[in-house]
Amino acid sequence: MTTISGTAEQVQATAPLVGRPDVNRKRMARLGWAFSAPALIVVAAVTIFPIVYSVIMSLSNVTVTGSGINLNGFTWSNYSLVLKNATWHYALGFTIIYTFITVIVELIIGTMIALVLQRLTAGRGWMMALLLLPWSMITVINAELWLYIYNGVYGVADAILGAVGLGTPNILGHSTSAIIALMIADIWKTTPFVAIIVLAGLVMLPGDIYEAAEVDGSSGWSTFWRITVPLLRPTLALAVIFRVLQAFGLFDLPFVMTNGGPGTATTSLAILGYKAMFQNLDFGPGAAVATTTTALVLLGCLVSLRFFRVQVGKEGS
Amino acid sequence: MGNRKRKGWHRYINGLTISTFFVVLFIAAPLYWLIISSFKTPAAMGDSPPQYWPNPWSTQNYRQAFVQYDFGSYFYHSLIVTLVATALVLVLGTMAGYALGRLPMRGKFTLMVTLLMISVFPEIAVIAPLYTLLKDLNWLNTYQALIIPYTAFYLPFAVWILRNYMLGIPKEMEETARIDGAGPIRTVWSIILPMALPGVFTAGIFTFTAAWTEFLMALTFNINLKTIPVGIATFGTALEVPFGTIFAASVVAVFPIGILVFIFRKFVISGLTSGAVKG
Repeated sequence: MTTISGTAEQVQATAPLVGRPDVNRKRMARLGWAFSAPALIVVAAVTIFPIVYSVIMSLSNVTVTGSGINLNGFTWSNYSLVLKNATWHYALGFTIIYTFITVIVELIIGTMIALVLQRLTAGRGWMMALLLLPWSMITVINAELWLYIYNGVYGVADAILGAVGLGTPNILGHSTSAIIALMIADIWKTTPFVAIIVLAGLVMLPGDIYEAAEVDGSSGWSTFWRITVPLLRPTLALAVIFRVLQAFGLFDLPFVMTNGGPGTATTSLAILGYKAMFQNLDFGPGAAVATTTTALVLLGCLVSLRFFRVQVGKEGS
Repeated sequence: MGNRKRKGWHRYINGLTISTFFVVLFIAAPLYWLIISSFKTPAAMGDSPPQYWPNPWSTQNYRQAFVQYDFGSYFYHSLIVTLVATALVLVLGTMAGYALGRLPMRGKFTLMVTLLMISVFPEIAVIAPLYTLLKDLNWLNTYQALIIPYTAFYLPFAVWILRNYMLGIPKEMEETARIDGAGPIRTVWSIILPMALPGVFTAGIFTFTAAWTEFLMALTFNINLKTIPVGIATFGTALEVPFGTIFAASVVAVFPIGILVFIFRKFVISGLTSGAVKG
């Protein structure tokens, strides 16, 4: 904090320079760096440094001693171990499929909710508030709630399935049903988020295009596919990117609900990395898992930024 | 006669109300289940078929959460960590957002893109190094072990939102202030800040929500200074999960943030619009 006020005083002392655009501009730029420095330093120290360290760790022979972690020299072995590991292959596949399915379903249901909300004249505020509740909920609570719903003995899901004649399966006890159950819990919590983003995009669409479409005799369904969806594409794409990147770090939900099981059925990349590091104390391979996950996320981010460059670049002034 | 009656009928039962009904059911049913289950007696939690309405109503789960499981102290830990982290994010984020939104800095675009990328990094990537670092500093199980990482992790998104708000403030305001002789700090404090207040609320809500719900770091760094998510996840034993106690604690944990989000819902929504769609 002291450095900031120091710089500010310095700037104030040279106040007569106001009016000379070139000098003024330089001075303002220096002020800009002074203002953003504290935030940038905190972010760099707590995120960039550890990520670099994590990469180094993944390329080292790591030994764990009572006093901490020691890095003894360079090696590729962590990566070759991870890349050949069947559990990692499964976790990678599971995370990708899980992300793919949940995001698609969330997008479809979210868009439907947004369309309903857009037409709603009364009670829209209340609906918004209701939508925001699952979104703002602690994921651990979400997990415990669905754990109770899915319980094999007294869960309400079994009671409902039994009542419609589907028997009482042990939902979280089998791989496929456990994965589906996990997806439903995730979809319940995150669809409202997608719905709100899509609704925000819908509200911003120009109304006169719809009037013109109506005059031309376009029906509801074709208006939706030919006008709404193309115009909404940037919004939809952004919601997808947000969700894909978030879903790729999937941890809380399976950690509480299934602990990655049954077997390794719901072991995501983050769960695999966490267990490797903090339960088996395999910090080298764990770091390799974390680093490859980050690389994949970063790749996804770069691809999507390329997709969005026009939009982001246009705004920068 | 019949025609008019049908007209009236159609007014209330149409595609819109039916779909609205299903939306509400889909979102509200699990919430209903959470709340009423917290008021069942601990014994009734295991009834099969389950009680769809608590009979009798009981507050025993709530008593258990606070007396037997010390939920009060988890709540307190969460509150301190979340409030301090949110305050730090807002102070640092407002300054950085102002600089990146309104001051002529070189490499601004690169900085913004870097920040955006950092904000999507999976937490798992930094857990091990941060754990080692905190251990070396002897900071495991302290408030700062969570406050500092939360501040760093949630700053990029806050900066992004605040910068977008700052961009929308007319330049003349600032120029007038400068001509009148106000220094840069003064300008930010008394001209920019009041106008960017909605953005500050938005960033505040997002940061508060993120910090309040964070699990992985809290689990790894602070197992002996539990926040609410860690506390709830570790209630009970391997053999028995006390769902009643968990739900009572959950209802208490959902309320502060539910109320906050409800009051500030306009800012949450506008934050998603300007922070996300425009960005």
